[in-house]
Amino acid sequence: MLFSLAFRNIVKSKGRSIITLLLSTFTTIFFIIYVAFTDGSHHQFIKSSVEIYTGYAHVNLNGYRDEGGYDNLIEDAGSIDQILKNDSSIKTYSPRFETYSLLSGDEKAVGSMIVGIIPSSEASLSKLPSSLIKGEYLTDNDTNAIYIGSALAKRLNVDIGSQVAMVGSSIDYSIAADLFTIKGIFKTGLFEFDSQAAFVNKSYLDTIMLSDNIASYFTLYFHDNEHIDDVTTALQASLPSEVEAVNWKILLSALVQAMLVDSIFNYISISIFFLVIFFVIMIFSYVNIYTRAREIGLLRALGLTSKDIFGMLFVEILLLATVSIVVGTIIGASIAYYYELHPIVISGIAETYKEYGVVSDEIPMNFDLFTIAWNALTIFILNLAAIIYPVTKINKLTAMEAMRYV
Amino acid sequence: MKWLLSLLIITLSLQANEAQAIIKKLEKNLRGDYMYSTMSMIVTSKRGKRTVKIESWSEGNDKSFIKILYPKKDKGITFLKIDNQMWQYIPKIERTIKIPPSMMLQSWMGSDFTNDDMVKESSLEEDYNAKLLSKKANSATLELIPKEDAAVVWGKIIIDVDLKNAVPVKETFYDDMMKKVRVMTFSKIEQHGSHRVPMVMELKPLDANKKKNSTKVIFEKVNFDAKIDPSYFTKQALKRYSR
Repeated sequence: MLFSLAFRNIVKSKGRSIITLLLSTFTTIFFIIYVAFTDGSHHQFIKSSVEIYTGYAHVNLNGYRDEGGYDNLIEDAGSIDQILKNDSSIKTYSPRFETYSLLSGDEKAVGSMIVGIIPSSEASLSKLPSSLIKGEYLTDNDTNAIYIGSALAKRLNVDIGSQVAMVGSSIDYSIAADLFTIKGIFKTGLFEFDSQAAFVNKSYLDTIMLSDNIASYFTLYFHDNEHIDDVTTALQASLPSEVEAVNWKILLSALVQAMLVDSIFNYISISIFFLVIFFVIMIFSYVNIYTRAREIGLLRALGLTSKDIFGMLFVEILLLATVSIVVGTIIGASIAYYYELHPIVISGIAETYKEYGVVSDEIPMNFDLFTIAWNALTIFILNLAAIIYPVTKINKLTAMEAMRYV
Repeated sequence: MKWLLSLLIITLSLQANEAQAIIKKLEKNLRGDYMYSTMSMIVTSKRGKRTVKIESWSEGNDKSFIKILYPKKDKGITFLKIDNQMWQYIPKIERTIKIPPSMMLQSWMGSDFTNDDMVKESSLEEDYNAKLLSKKANSATLELIPKEDAAVVWGKIIIDVDLKNAVPVKETFYDDMMKKVRVMTFSKIEQHGSHRVPMVMELKPLDANKKKNSTKVIFEKVNFDAKIDPSYFTKQALKRYSR
């Protein structure tokens, strides 16, 4: 009986029902899109940072991340290579040898990060080859060729074909020095990186640094990078105890934290929006319920208890909320899905925000069913919560008071 | 009451004067107008032990020229220090490179000394205020706090001094957070001309990660008496005397 009463009320007062429906539907759509957009931009941000150079995970000696230097190098890179080769979860991987040395042009010397890489492997692990802006990328047969960041080239005042001297320390701490010719210049957009990093074919750098079969770490790309925690934990089990597998969430923890703080601020601003929505729905329900005070008084006089009245009004809002949330979710989710596949392009943002690591003008939305489900549920609960106050208020009136209510 | 206070002030200033006098005597003994030396530097780290043989010429506090004699791979590498600047010449690539300020705190030749240590032979007497902490017959402990305008990296240095020989026995370095950072010990005192010199110095960093590290410098030849040709303290010398 409550259900049919509620249904009758909805159909009878069409204007009120339509407005409630529209309000909830648009709130749902807006919320789903907002969250999909912010999550999407965060994902894009992290993805760029991960894919430019760091990689999805590293395998290094315990202590290397904290201390760096030559005291924590993987001394038998071959045996780790063998383990990684046999791990079916890894799609591709490559060793790197990172060291800090002086690079010197004709006039100026600059402290730089020199990295020995296997040029061909990096193509599928990082954005190094595709960040080329001048000259050529390295090959596996290169010797005295160096691939340097655009800002570093500028600091050294060098260009393609120029010669730079490198002076650093071999792993036995003797002086390592050599002359390199600039083969290519890259620009990733990460300013710090572009102004410090230079790359050399590892097999050649090894002869100068005496680092044959030695690596600072291996960088990895998994088949399933989405479940990075699971795959790194699984990989850890097959590694010797002095070696650790660390994923990007730890390697880029500063960035991850920055994203978290940003998300928190987003949620704070959206909760203010929700508060407004909540009060709008509540006031709307309040007015609605009180305009029906006489009707409610009559129902009470006919023998309905205050519990029945609450039930009737609750079923009303339940029906309206369910319809609007279903419709809103379908529309919101479709929009999020569409823009995940066809990202929004805001031309110029990569240029504007390049120092923050934004390398693409595309901002895809993040279509995630779990996120969408909790978004929809939040609006649903908000709708139901909004009628509690008006209903309890009207239920406090006696049948006579309600009928006389103007 | 007043006279008690005056006495206290006089005692304190006398103590400060005495401390300053000890530092002055120490510096006078350890530094000559010219110094020529050869030494072995033994660097111990997690990766093992390494010996570097060095020949060095210096004039006063501000000019020095260093040549690496051993190991063979590094032979002929030269360093020139004039005031607070440092250049390096590497025969393999025939290049002279000026060490930029950003690299000053990097290790020198893989040792526990930094480039800055090599360059900033700051004068204890000029850059620090000395305070006498304790004094026995032939030894004293001094606390050195940098003067406000001194360009030094330490927050405090505690020096144990052998008063008879006017040489330091132990120097403990604190950072600006007053945390102990490294300890340098001196031993094997020998007379060279009018100077008494500790022939062995050992530096131990106190960082938890560097427990196994130490750098020991053993002087082999020391000569304070011969004048050093000024041509050593020019950029041309880097290449010229590299051979």
